[in-house]
Order: sequence, then C-alpha cells, then structure tokens
Amino acid sequence: MAYIRHHAIPAVALSAMCLLVGCSKPAPEQPPAPAAPPYHPVASIREVMNSVIDPNVDVVWNAVKTDIDHGKQIEHAPANDEEWAAVRHSAMTVSEGANLLMMPGRAVAPPGAGSLAPGIELAPDQVRALIDKSPSGWNQFARALQDSLQPALAAIDKKDSLALFEAGDKIDEVCESCHQVFWYPQSGASAPASASTSPASAPAR
Amino acid sequence: MKTNIFLMLLVAGALCAVQPVQAHHAFAAEYDQTKPLTLNGIITRMEWANPHGWIYMDTKGPNGAVKHWMIETAAPSQLSRHGLKKADFTDGMTAVVKGYQGKTDPGLANGRTLVLKDGRSFYIGSVGGPNDGAEPQ
Repeated sequence: MAYIRHHAIPAVALSAMCLLVGCSKPAPEQPPAPAAPPYHPVASIREVMNSVIDPNVDVVWNAVKTDIDHGKQIEHAPANDEEWAAVRHSAMTVSEGANLLMMPGRAVAPPGAGSLAPGIELAPDQVRALIDKSPSGWNQFARALQDSLQPALAAIDKKDSLALFEAGDKIDEVCESCHQVFWYPQSGASAPASASTSPASAPAR
Repeated sequence: MKTNIFLMLLVAGALCAVQPVQAHHAFAAEYDQTKPLTLNGIITRMEWANPHGWIYMDTKGPNGAVKHWMIETAAPSQLSRHGLKKADFTDGMTAVVKGYQGKTDPGLANGRTLVLKDGRSFYIGSVGGPNDGAEPQ
C-alpha cells in the first residue's frame, strides 16, 4: 500500500502535467504570407481587347453572313473542316480570353494612354474606378462573355451555320451591355435596356 | 501539320480581309448626333451580318455626281424583329434612309429608319443611338 502511495503521487502529477500541456493553446503561428500569383499580366485590358478578343470575335461574327448584292443573296458559311476549325480556334480564344479580363492586377490601358474618345468614352482611370467599385460586376460580364461563346462552340461542333449566326447576335449583346456600363456609360446616347450593372439582370435586347 | 496551320491562317485571314473594322465604340464616338441626314438613293448591296448590318447606297448630288454611302444598321436579329427581311433587298431598289453622318468618313452613316418604295418603314437603328424618337416604343 505504501508502495502504491509512494509511486502514485508522481504518476498523478505527471498525468496532470500532460493534460495541462495537451489542453493549452499552441503558440500562435503567423499566417503564411500569401504567395504571389504565378501569372503576370503583360497586356492591359485595352490591349487584350484589341489583340485577343476583338480580332477573334470578328472571325466568329464574319463566319456566317448573307451578302445581298443587287438583290442576289450570297450566303457565306464555313465550307469545310479547315474553315470550321479556324472559326472554332477563334471562338475558343475569345472564350479563354474572358479569363484574361478577370485576372486581377491588369491595367486598364497602357501607361499614359487616355480615352479613345474624350468626353464620350471614359478615361482609363475612370474605367478603373468603375471596375474597383464593382469587381464582381466586371467579372460577371466577363463570365457572361465566356458563356455567350458556348452556343457558338456548340454550333461550330455541329457545323450548324444558322445556330452560329444566331449565337453571334447574343455575343454582341454581352459586349455592348458591358461597354455601356464600364466604357461609355454616359455617352449621350439612349441607354439600352441591357445597360445594367450586372449581366444577370440584362434583358435580351 | 504545318499545312493545316497555314490553311487555318489563310482562311482566318481571308475571312478578316474583306471586313470593315468592327471594334465597338460608343455611338457618339463614331457618329455626329448634330448632323442628321436623309439619304434618297439606290441600295446596291446589303451585308446581313453580325454584329451590325451594312447598307450600301448610291445617292446623286445636285450636279449628278454619284456618292457611295456605307450605312451601319442594327444586328440582323433586330432588323428581323422590326419586320425587315433579306428578301426586301431587291435589285435596283430605291429607298430613303434617315440617320446620322459619320464623324471621320464622309461616306459613313448610321441608319435610324429605312423607308422602302412601297411605303413600308423600318427601324434599323443600332443599340445606343440617340433618343430621337426613331425607335418604336
């Protein structure tokens, strides 16, 4: 009995210490510094629009059209696999290009660049302020652009020129809606029904 | 592979080569809202295309000189919504277009209404045009 009492006291003390250590809060750790993003935007939004989005969406738009020359209707549409592949290439480029527009840290225009139409279209710092005021709205429009390419890609994969033509109209709606909010909101023209701060609430024109 | 890439570039180039520049801009950046115009002439060609249609019209000046106009319209879906059809553009047709003068190109205009010889009138204005009462409510 004395043996047990003799050894029990240190054992209880040791257990208590273990419990205390186990229950006490660990030393606070400093949160790891956020890692710098691996990407590095090189072009401004204006340059992405001019170099990536615009020339490629033009290919999508121009792929199907009717030229009525002196009353004679001449239909234009991709005529073979290579032509469909070229349009698909451009549609995919625009679709992925929308991600470039959403990347944070991208300048609106090259340093020192001004408005392309002073008094009508906003200066880059004004566009920046609008984007910073509603980054989610900006991203929604970019996503809407990306989404608007999906019917075009589906039409291309089916080689359905009529569906591609109709998809082109929807793409333009998204472009114009975003421009009316972030580029020329007070251009002096009538505000279209689609000029809302979010593409989700933009009714079809 | 190289041949395929070359062909794709060739096709893409050919598709782009014949197109007018279609970069988006505000209406007021490209057209002068203080210069409305009425064009009475012969429509020689119509591009039923996205994102805008284009009417090509020849008008005659007081001295008989022919002037070529390139008139931007709304997208084809909008034209269709207002009742205009591709079949309405016939050979040698005369028409009246009301619109606005381009700011930089004297042969460029933005159309607001198109009136055909049979009297039918269509709204052809692009989105973002001026509040001038041309657009049907």
